Amino acid sequence: MTVSNDKRAASRAILETLGVGKVFGATRALDDVTLRVAPRGIHALLGENGAGKSTLVKCLAGFHRPSSGQIMIGGRERVLRSPRDAHAAGVGMVYQHFTLAPNLTVLENLVLAVPDRNGVSARRIDWKAERARFAQQIDELPFDADLDVTVSSLSSGQKQKVEIIKQLCLGPRILILDEPTSVLTPDEADEVLGTLHEMTRDQDLAVILITHKMREVFAYADRVTVLRGGRVTGDDEIGALDADALSEMMIGEVEIAKSPERAPTAADNVLLRIENLSADNDRGVRALDDVNLTVAAGEIVGVAGVSGNGQTELAQVLAGQRRAMAGRIQVHEEVYSGTRAEISRHGMHCLPEEPLRNACVPDMSVADNLAFRHFDRPEYSLGGLFMRGAPLARRAATLMERFNVKPREPRLPMASLSGGNVQRAALARELGEDVDILVVTNPCFGLDVAAVAQIHAQLMDARNAGTAVLLISEDLDELLTLADRLVVLFEGRAVHECTREQADRRGIGQKMTGY
Amino acid sequence: MTSHPGLRLAAESVVLILATFAATALLFALFVAAAGAPPTGVFYDIYLGAFGSWFSWQNTLTRAAPFMLAALCTALPARLGLLVIGNEGALVIGGVAAAAAGISLNGVAPLAVQVGMFVAAAVAGGLWIAGALALRHYRGVNETISTLLLNYLAIALLLWLVGGPLHDPASLNKPSTPSIGSANMLGDMPGMSVHWGLAYGVIACALLFVLFRYTTFGFAARIIGGNVRAAQLNGLAVARITLIVGFLAGAAAGVAGMVEVAAVHGRANESLVAGYGYVGILVAFLARQNLAMIVPVAILLGGIEASGGLLQRHFELPDATTTVLQGTLFMLLLASESLRGRIFPIRVQEAN
Amino acid sequence: MEGAADLGWWGVPLALLAGAVRASTPFLFVSLGECLTEKSGRINLGLEGTLVMGAMIAYGISFLTGSPWLGVAGAAGVGLVMGALHGVICGLPRVNHIAVGIALMIFGVGLAFFLGKPLIQPSAPQLPGLALGAWSDSRAVRAALNVNALFIIGVILTFVMAWMFRSTRIGLAIRTVGDSRDAARAVGLDVKRIRLLTTAVGGAFAGVGGSFLSLYYPGSWNEGLSSGQGLMAVALVIFARWDPIKCLYASLLFGGAGALGPALQGVGISTGYYLFNATPYLLTLIVMIAASSRDRALAGAPGDLSINSSS
Repeated sequence: MTVSNDKRAASRAILETLGVGKVFGATRALDDVTLRVAPRGIHALLGENGAGKSTLVKCLAGFHRPSSGQIMIGGRERVLRSPRDAHAAGVGMVYQHFTLAPNLTVLENLVLAVPDRNGVSARRIDWKAERARFAQQIDELPFDADLDVTVSSLSSGQKQKVEIIKQLCLGPRILILDEPTSVLTPDEADEVLGTLHEMTRDQDLAVILITHKMREVFAYADRVTVLRGGRVTGDDEIGALDADALSEMMIGEVEIAKSPERAPTAADNVLLRIENLSADNDRGVRALDDVNLTVAAGEIVGVAGVSGNGQTELAQVLAGQRRAMAGRIQVHEEVYSGTRAEISRHGMHCLPEEPLRNACVPDMSVADNLAFRHFDRPEYSLGGLFMRGAPLARRAATLMERFNVKPREPRLPMASLSGGNVQRAALARELGEDVDILVVTNPCFGLDVAAVAQIHAQLMDARNAGTAVLLISEDLDELLTLADRLVVLFEGRAVHECTREQADRRGIGQKMTGY
Repeated sequence: MTSHPGLRLAAESVVLILATFAATALLFALFVAAAGAPPTGVFYDIYLGAFGSWFSWQNTLTRAAPFMLAALCTALPARLGLLVIGNEGALVIGGVAAAAAGISLNGVAPLAVQVGMFVAAAVAGGLWIAGALALRHYRGVNETISTLLLNYLAIALLLWLVGGPLHDPASLNKPSTPSIGSANMLGDMPGMSVHWGLAYGVIACALLFVLFRYTTFGFAARIIGGNVRAAQLNGLAVARITLIVGFLAGAAAGVAGMVEVAAVHGRANESLVAGYGYVGILVAFLARQNLAMIVPVAILLGGIEASGGLLQRHFELPDATTTVLQGTLFMLLLASESLRGRIFPIRVQEAN
Repeated sequence: MEGAADLGWWGVPLALLAGAVRASTPFLFVSLGECLTEKSGRINLGLEGTLVMGAMIAYGISFLTGSPWLGVAGAAGVGLVMGALHGVICGLPRVNHIAVGIALMIFGVGLAFFLGKPLIQPSAPQLPGLALGAWSDSRAVRAALNVNALFIIGVILTFVMAWMFRSTRIGLAIRTVGDSRDAARAVGLDVKRIRLLTTAVGGAFAGVGGSFLSLYYPGSWNEGLSSGQGLMAVALVIFARWDPIKCLYASLLFGGAGALGPALQGVGISTGYYLFNATPYLLTLIVMIAASSRDRALAGAPGDLSINSSS
């Protein structure tokens, strides 16, 4: 890009960051980031997990104060001390994790978020007038919502729309969307992004779209800025880029483990059989509905679906973390209820998503966390009653070595490890001994490319060695790479099943939406 | 990392607790000074009244005994991440059960009566708290609130029993059960005028410390307390362990009630409701739910209580003075938790 | 209850009503205070200490100034301070809210007994009652309808609070803060400040509840004055499902259950009334068991309330 181009871009930018940096303790999350956003159009912010995208937009939304650099909005420097300051400057943000109050109605959430023109100080709320005001505002928007329902009863897609409506009602000049499509079906994602794309053509609205999905960037964005390790590694008009160039900006030069070798297996010896399984979610609503599923030795069965269609509940029931309301689980053709004796006898292990939250005790040491599977076995305890420190410590050291958990200090609390190391430690515990059946959920969430390849290789190795692997993942590409068979969950039901050879991206995408 | 992470945490605890004591002493000094008493004199009296002589030591230890047992009722469930405040209720129920057992076993050999009272108190108190934890586990009923409610139910049950079914017609101004008989009372330990309740308390704390520190049961309990999802994932018997811990907790408080009946009052009546349960909660928190620390902390608080009389005589300070001191200590202690992790932070370089 | 005796068995419901109204006032104030605090997502288990401090301060001020209403104001003030103390400590990170409540209870009760030692003997001017039964010839009816102004104020406050939650911006803000911290922060609400405010004002209500004890019924200051009304506030609010208007009904019920014993005693039934006293606690426990479920949070509770963690 030439200097004169730069100047022209600056002169018409609605939002600029100039050399913004952000330091958390010893980590530098953002380093000298300069970004220019035009008054109209969709500006994609692309990068891997941990590249600094979220930190950057949180600075723009008034959640973080930059450690250095300036933020200019509408040509003036702004100091954003709070989300309220950001609102006042015309910046609205839709978060990845919803920020609606779940037990209030949509209308109540809107009333609170959008002060009326008479100012916030109006003490009394005239519900009739407010309902009329928002009904009219929503009428003018390309999205719709039922004002009188409680937020907790909405689906993820509906919540997303309410969040966007909430921000649009504030009349922002800049709307930031943080990974908006991670909870949407492909069709919903197309609808939301398509509508916003139209809006940025017709009015002064700039949308900053955070994503790691290249497809969305090419379909909807006008311009893209790529971040890696807190620095800008690329910035250009969409037309000037192709997928290879973008992925190189995103990933850099990392040596990626070879894609795993798939050994031919028979896959006729069914080890895990799920029959008519039903379960409720945390709100007491049926989330898993009459699911049947089998996994044989030496195959990976993938479970696809948009987040929130029963995958979490399925994983939790299999892990013994949630009661089944109906149906049963059979392992080695025996009824399985997840007791310690059964887990050990059948070699059935589970690795839930977010292992620090779902599989570990954060303030116990790494060594202790590695001992959960075997601490009461004869070789590690006196008669199953008293703990024996020395063998447990040796075992922990071996596992950390084998699975490359760093730093190699078993006495550190688990919570002090980085995400990738927590994941490796959890995997070490679950794959450190012979397992017949392995259930894994989103094993690569939040990891960098190299770590992802490593974990994929380990899963494939386990499969090739004859383990029955059930892989529950929201990442369709991961499933298409690894799975021998695919099952699609929609609204808690297994709506589609196909083999690896039959699977096509489009068709599965449609099944994920219930067609 | 040069030093052991566990050592850093321990050092931090020591620094925090010393800072808490110093701040409490300062505030309390200002308080008594405002009330017109010389702070140094008051502190000296607390020392004298608590630990100044063999006589005050015995007084202190006698008061500390029920605190130890009552504190276990909060400290054991805390291992599972549960906050039980039903100490008072379990103590009362244990006391009533002990009295009922003592009366009905009248005529049997004293040792058998004492064993009977002990078992009755432990079982009654144990079931009382295990019930609350069962409601928690199977029904999701918040254990803090349910055990608070159970305190009131226990007291109502006590008052009804001593006024009705177990009423001794001879007890006029304070309705009581009949006496368990002086032969059946728990006597003093050899060589001191401190009753056997102290031994019960110390032995219970020691045994339970070993159980939770060195056994697979204790390790499983730590996993449950740290993250119940991790425990379920590993197939640990969450229900069974929760109920056992609840039973042990309630049994400890129940035995505290038995000690009050069998070593102090000789019968069950309203005197059982003496607030020992709430002091037990304080002891458990001050010991940071650490079972080995309960014994010294209970002795410390027993000492503070024991010095109340001396403060009253020397400086005409009301007996609630010691309660003010306890309350201040408790609040500053809880506030000090917010400094945890800031004194000796554990830093880890990114090793990816 | 000699008034009830001359009406025979009819005295029981009348005495019950009178007793309920009278005994419910402190329950009403502490439960409204706790309701306000819990709606914002905090729980204050220390209202017993606040209540007893309020009773002592009100009695002391009334004795010194001769004005019981100044005493009520003083009780509200000291309640505000103690509530704020709870709010500030709970605003610190990693502090156990329930334990802070218990500490505050021990501290408040201790401080009240300490400072109130000289107040046990003297008698202070009492709050007047409103003679709503002046039309009747029956002494019992007149006694029963002699209602204290604080009860009326409490009833008005109930409806004001219900209206505030439903129809004002501050009420909506409190409900949002109580439902989801993240949602509140995202719309720019200062979560800590709002919780501090509701805890402080909730404390002031509890202080007023205490003043009723020492200045009207039983109407003296001593160390056995409170029978745990402050501690029960938490149970009461659960029983009332976080609804101010139901707090009023629940307070009448709790007060009435307490009055049932003496009323029955008036007609010669003397045993077993401790069990009647315990019914509110038992009912609350039953309500909690019914409203809880192992698979989801307590139904009807503010989403961010700290007692709400389901396993």
